[in-house]
Amino acid sequence: MNRVRRRALAVYLLVAVAVLGLGFYVVRFFVHGSAWASAPFNQTVHRAGILTVGRVVDRNGVVLADVTDGRRSFADSAEVRRATLHAVGDREGNVGTGALSLFAAELMGYNPILGSTNVTGAGNTVTLNIDSALNVEALRALDGRRGVVMVSNYETGEVLAMVSSPTFDPTQPPTVIDDEEGIFLNRAIQAAYTPGSAFKVLTAAAALDNVRDLSSRIFECTGEMRTSRGIVTCPSAHGNIGIIDAMRVSCNIAFGELAIEMGPIVMSRYVERMGLSGRTTVSGMATASGNFDRADPDTADLAWSGVGQFTNTVCPASMLRFMGAIANDGVAIELQLRSRQGLGGLMPVDSERLMDVGTAQRLSEIIRIQNRVNFPGLEIHAKTGTAQVGGDMLPHAWFVGYITNEDFPLAFVVVVENAGGGAAVAAPIANRVLQSAVRG
Amino acid sequence: MEWIRELIRNMQEAVAGIDIDLQSFASMLIRFILPALAIIVVVRCIKSLMQEKSEIEIWGQLKLANGTLVDLNNWENAIGRANASDVYIDYPTISRNHAALNRDDKGNWMIFDVQSSTGVEVAGKKIEPNVGVQVKSGDKIELGGVPLTFVAADNTDEYEQAASRTRPGRLYKQHSTLIFLTQFQALLGLQLYIASDESVAMAILFSFLALIGLMWGCYIAMRALKRVAFEIETLAFFLSTLGLTVVVSSAPARIATQTVFLVLGLILFFTMGWILRDINIAKLLKRPIVLAGPIILAATLVLGERIHGATRWISIAGLQFQPSEFVKIAVIFAGAATLERMYTRRNLFGFLGFMIVCMGILAPMRDFGTALIFFVAFLVIAFLRSGDFATIFLSIAGAGMAGLVAISLMPHIAGRFASWGRAWEYVNTAGGYQQTRAMSAAASGGLFGVGAGNGWFNNIFAADSDLVFAMLSEELGLIIALCAVFAVVCFAIFSIRAAASARSSFYVIGACAASSMLVFQMLLNVLGSMDIAPFTGVTFPFVSTGGTSIVASWGMLAFFKAVDTRQNASFAVKTPKRPKYSGGGAIVYRHDVELPIFEGDEI
Repeated sequence: MNRVRRRALAVYLLVAVAVLGLGFYVVRFFVHGSAWASAPFNQTVHRAGILTVGRVVDRNGVVLADVTDGRRSFADSAEVRRATLHAVGDREGNVGTGALSLFAAELMGYNPILGSTNVTGAGNTVTLNIDSALNVEALRALDGRRGVVMVSNYETGEVLAMVSSPTFDPTQPPTVIDDEEGIFLNRAIQAAYTPGSAFKVLTAAAALDNVRDLSSRIFECTGEMRTSRGIVTCPSAHGNIGIIDAMRVSCNIAFGELAIEMGPIVMSRYVERMGLSGRTTVSGMATASGNFDRADPDTADLAWSGVGQFTNTVCPASMLRFMGAIANDGVAIELQLRSRQGLGGLMPVDSERLMDVGTAQRLSEIIRIQNRVNFPGLEIHAKTGTAQVGGDMLPHAWFVGYITNEDFPLAFVVVVENAGGGAAVAAPIANRVLQSAVRG
Repeated sequence: MEWIRELIRNMQEAVAGIDIDLQSFASMLIRFILPALAIIVVVRCIKSLMQEKSEIEIWGQLKLANGTLVDLNNWENAIGRANASDVYIDYPTISRNHAALNRDDKGNWMIFDVQSSTGVEVAGKKIEPNVGVQVKSGDKIELGGVPLTFVAADNTDEYEQAASRTRPGRLYKQHSTLIFLTQFQALLGLQLYIASDESVAMAILFSFLALIGLMWGCYIAMRALKRVAFEIETLAFFLSTLGLTVVVSSAPARIATQTVFLVLGLILFFTMGWILRDINIAKLLKRPIVLAGPIILAATLVLGERIHGATRWISIAGLQFQPSEFVKIAVIFAGAATLERMYTRRNLFGFLGFMIVCMGILAPMRDFGTALIFFVAFLVIAFLRSGDFATIFLSIAGAGMAGLVAISLMPHIAGRFASWGRAWEYVNTAGGYQQTRAMSAAASGGLFGVGAGNGWFNNIFAADSDLVFAMLSEELGLIIALCAVFAVVCFAIFSIRAAASARSSFYVIGACAASSMLVFQMLLNVLGSMDIAPFTGVTFPFVSTGGTSIVASWGMLAFFKAVDTRQNASFAVKTPKRPKYSGGGAIVYRHDVELPIFEGDEI
């Protein structure tokens, strides 16, 4: 009997497996419970897959989404509804970046103790950082053209405006099945575009660290540059110019030369470090991935990639983060859609140093716009981009940068698809939105 | 019965008259009280099972030539020079496993020469190896030339020992635990009643009253039999209460059937307990029960219907049965054996053959979950009987390879493995549909649940059986769901601890095999539905809807009663009768030592 008794202790192994397995489950329950309960088939807080509790408001308390008679309702103004669609979401759950899906757990007031039925049963209010009036201004400025306007506070990461066009009124959802236009797509986060000359800021950032005597260097632009197996052209022959003028006139030869000089490995390392080739996050949500291929330095491809052409693509939100970092002495703050008031504000923001303070300050000087007639009252640092997209299509117009007005530490990105030159098309949109933001 | 209806109607009107929110307020209050009651019930049962004393019994003595007395504390005693022997005699002519000295239910003793090299002599005659020879009190036995005198405890000894042993129920009053459980049941019934339609309200009321009545009926019957321990039954009734809740919530039409199955389960429980009560009857019935196992399985294969890829069910008169559930009891019987059997060469051959036949029939039935449970039972029994880790590792390796073959041959099982651990990537396909809903529902319930009858998960296929853990979690919350889990785990812990003072290895093996199967089945159910283990579609013992599963679970419960030798604890363990004559008493108690008490793992 003693033997059998001792052997019976082996059953404790099974008990241990049970306890460990259940312990593992309980940990998962507390870690993932909020995501599990947010699934649209959790019918306690969803009807036909749509969250039936919780309210979304903007930074000024304007209601963007609410529940009326058990049904999801949206802002009173149709223009606000259209301008905030991609930040708020729709009834059908087709817009993936909206607060209704992104912050479902907070909206339902989920916590693992009480589950998805909190005491009042009415859910919570989620305050977004966006200013719905600024979004409306941005949507008006885009004037029906496809594109993106995104504005953030580079010191806090708060996203003040995020408009993606085309858009629609969530109370009258489109009946499109084949979404060719990408109407549900939030272009600010879920798209990556050829950056064109806007990318020269990255090339300059890499050159500041890797090219000796950059500030005293003179580039010779004859309108074209030959590599052993290719040719890079510039819209005009700029003659002998320094780096600041090269940035101002957006000289392809100067930046192509710098890219070749640094080589594909250094260039791709910087693109990666600045978050332009991979994914960055916006309130924890991954952005579209950018692209940077290491081109053969003998062909013109490397030079072209140094000026934002070739196979380069960049997500607008990642570009915005990069611009914010330059303004913020080299530190990028994660873009935040949701207000961090209350207890959430105690948590540290996700931040990352992208470059030295010195590099950031010199870069800031290089991209400072001296002629400010087009930007009255704004201390602006920015770069245009006119991204050739091939065929007979008009180029994408970019304008990216930031203003250093004391009360308004704002970074911005404007992209207008197939619309023409950055200076002519995108810059006026940025000016209009920034003027509105500064005037309040 | 009209007056009950009238009373409830009046109460409803009164409630509606005061404030319409009173009902939802009461329902919310109940949500928070229920987990507290569940914890009290389960913790009281566990503590009672662990803390109530199980003292040693003396069934006989061996007197050595120098006058030393050695107690025989079991019905089965291994005698030899091995350290683990029950009677350890360190003498060169005695083999490591020399003899086994066994008592049966009626007090008859047999001695077996198990693996001796120098032989066993009884009354001067050498006995055949592995053939039992009866010995009587006072007989002279010689083991390898070492003379011993055997003394058996007589009726007076047994009676006096029984009278002096501690009875359970001293630390934790069993009826107090039952009162807590009754409160739990009453509140749960009330909550379901509030949430239900009028059409099923009466059925809910009667089923809960029936459950409470059956429980107290069993308890009173036990007290009438002078049996004082009720923890095992209390835990099973707690689980059955959850099972009833699940039925009410998911398929109110089946409330009556469920109650009938509970009664059938209780009948099987008492029948099994009666069989196990007498080791002679248990050993007599072992052969027919074991033979019935493969026959039942084969009949299922031939007559059964293929539902959802597996041939597990037989339909009789519109009711579906899953006969493989009963075969679990046959597996336990096939594996359970008394001590002398364990030393024979062919020890495991018969059992191994039985398992191979069963697995061979289960494979074409495609009942992967049951096959896994049988395999775990096989491992536990094989280890208890052989103590050999090498055998176990070989078995696992062999089964692993067989499993790989099975996976490659059966696409629906392969599919389950393909999506295992990645259910959220298969949200709307077969690989993850049920599990993702299960996880969402479980998370939605939080710690306290959304309230019995208020969930949505009951509409998902198999919510009340294979995914019942999620349904419990959603409606009653994680705390109660974990209480259910620990109630089952508790059976295993109790089996191990009860082994310390069990009389026969037959009961130890039975209890360990039964509890291992229940725990493993529960684990497959819980972890499978939560995407931590592959989803095999097995039931949660006592809780899942499904008649056969409930009846078989109650049947297996009897093995825990049979191993429980705390004084007057279990109806499945006999107590000695009052001696007819005064006098008697053969055992000489050594007054220098108190009767040793088994505490915890001291064995």
